[in-house]
Amino acid sequence: MVHEALEGLVLSHPQVVAYDPEHQIVTRAHPAAGKVGLLSGGGSGHEPLHAGFVGVGMLDVAVPGAVFASPTALQLHDGTLAADSGCGVLHIVKNYTGDVLNFTIARELADENGIRTAAVLVDDDLATDITGGADGDEDEGHPGRRGTAAVVALEKICGAAAEAGAPLDELAELGSDVVARSSTMAFALEAGTHPGQSRAAFDLDPSEVEFGVGIHGERGTSRIGFAPADDLVAHLVGPLADALDLRRGTEVIAIVNNLGSAYPLETYVAARAVHRQLAARGVTVARSLVGPYVTSLDMHGISVTLVRADDTLLSHWDAPVHTPALTWGGTR
Amino acid sequence: MTTFDDQFGERWVASMLATFDAQAADLGELDRQAGDGDFGTNISSAYRRAREEARKAQPESYSEWLTTVSRGFLGTGGTSGPLFGMFFRELARCTTSSAPTASELADGLANGLATVQRYGKAKVGHKTMVDALAPAALAMGQAVKDGHPDPLATAAAAAVDGARSTAAITARRGRAAYVGEVSRGVLDPGAVAMAMVIQTAHNAAMGTTDPAGSILVDPA
Repeated sequence: MVHEALEGLVLSHPQVVAYDPEHQIVTRAHPAAGKVGLLSGGGSGHEPLHAGFVGVGMLDVAVPGAVFASPTALQLHDGTLAADSGCGVLHIVKNYTGDVLNFTIARELADENGIRTAAVLVDDDLATDITGGADGDEDEGHPGRRGTAAVVALEKICGAAAEAGAPLDELAELGSDVVARSSTMAFALEAGTHPGQSRAAFDLDPSEVEFGVGIHGERGTSRIGFAPADDLVAHLVGPLADALDLRRGTEVIAIVNNLGSAYPLETYVAARAVHRQLAARGVTVARSLVGPYVTSLDMHGISVTLVRADDTLLSHWDAPVHTPALTWGGTR
Repeated sequence: MTTFDDQFGERWVASMLATFDAQAADLGELDRQAGDGDFGTNISSAYRRAREEARKAQPESYSEWLTTVSRGFLGTGGTSGPLFGMFFRELARCTTSSAPTASELADGLANGLATVQRYGKAKVGHKTMVDALAPAALAMGQAVKDGHPDPLATAAAAAVDGARSTAAITARRGRAAYVGEVSRGVLDPGAVAMAMVIQTAHNAAMGTTDPAGSILVDPA
């Protein structure tokens, strides 16, 4: 199924992306030279992530795994070879045990081939933020916050910086900075259903809304009765604004993300609430994305990602991008 | 008397293939009892990939043969796939000759253990492949130091004992950790597979490509 979808992607955007079925990687149709290569990957089922963000101004290579399963270490290694044009490769990794393990191995294999790599770990999901739980025994510890929709902001911003010629270490620093400035929170009215299965990942009464859901059918952290959109969104914006310490006068990039089967109409109602609630706090939404960017199969829900912006981030955000799922500005 | 001749690597891989062809389904059944059930499929596809690698690469030396198995596992999903892949990678790298000495193989096992623990963060007693590998590496190192004529025999025995010990353990790492107490009484498939890997090394050193026998049956 993943293979067929990738063939469809390439048939639809032949000038932008190419698919190598032997190595199971998606590359640019016209590979870039003389810049750091950007590679991301992860389980499928989150389309358009990551293959939809391959192209000028964003990723060089995307490495898709099976639905909700990490790509293999060899796939990631082959992807790294494809992404390198002599300037090194930046790995953009969402924080999940399998992804981290396979990316780490791929970096070790790349090192042996003389390819320089750096990695940015994306862990923006506020629902999985465990504070004060440090018990001093790291290897018994919590796996940390999950990586979700902030990865799109990171791929866009680092992608622009890479096109502008930023070296590998600088891109890794920029990426970590974007992660530190980002936070995401989601709610669902209905869980997604895995292809081939007849039941959704979890049951939810039509009168209830689950907050803090993940993008793989992970249950949330709390549940409330169905309420108007403004109230639901307030349960996201409030914690996000607090977590990012958004004070009066701050500018943010906002991603109001459809998790799979929210209606576009609903998504813009949520976007309205995000703008108004942030405005009430004196926070300006300087740029936004509204739509399906990081989905969870057909989950009926919405996530909101806020990125505390500054002039540098905004200029990278505004730089041209030409990918199947994100396109603006002139192409080079 | 054991022989680490130039065909040792080839025999070892052949013995592993024969073993897991026969026993992958049983390993999968263990995983269904106390895990997520994908272990049998993963190990089958890892060795299928290793076969394809061998057909493409036409390996000759010990290192080249072990590399086919390493790549087979590194191209496989799950968490145990990449860990086995890195374990076999250390074994493949333990010598630059066409076959390892017993001492090099002992170092390879020790390095493989260190790598698995570095990535998997599992200790002895967590009900993982480490419960078979750690005693095997220790026994191998000691046997080589003592000048034992058949060090892999002691390593294989230690690995089998270690794998059998996992029945009494409640999982702390790996997929079985999620089911907690339910995992008690069930052998860990990763530890069993690792014990079989060491047993097949011994078979190869004895000059055969025979599969390892099943260790799923409790001898007691």
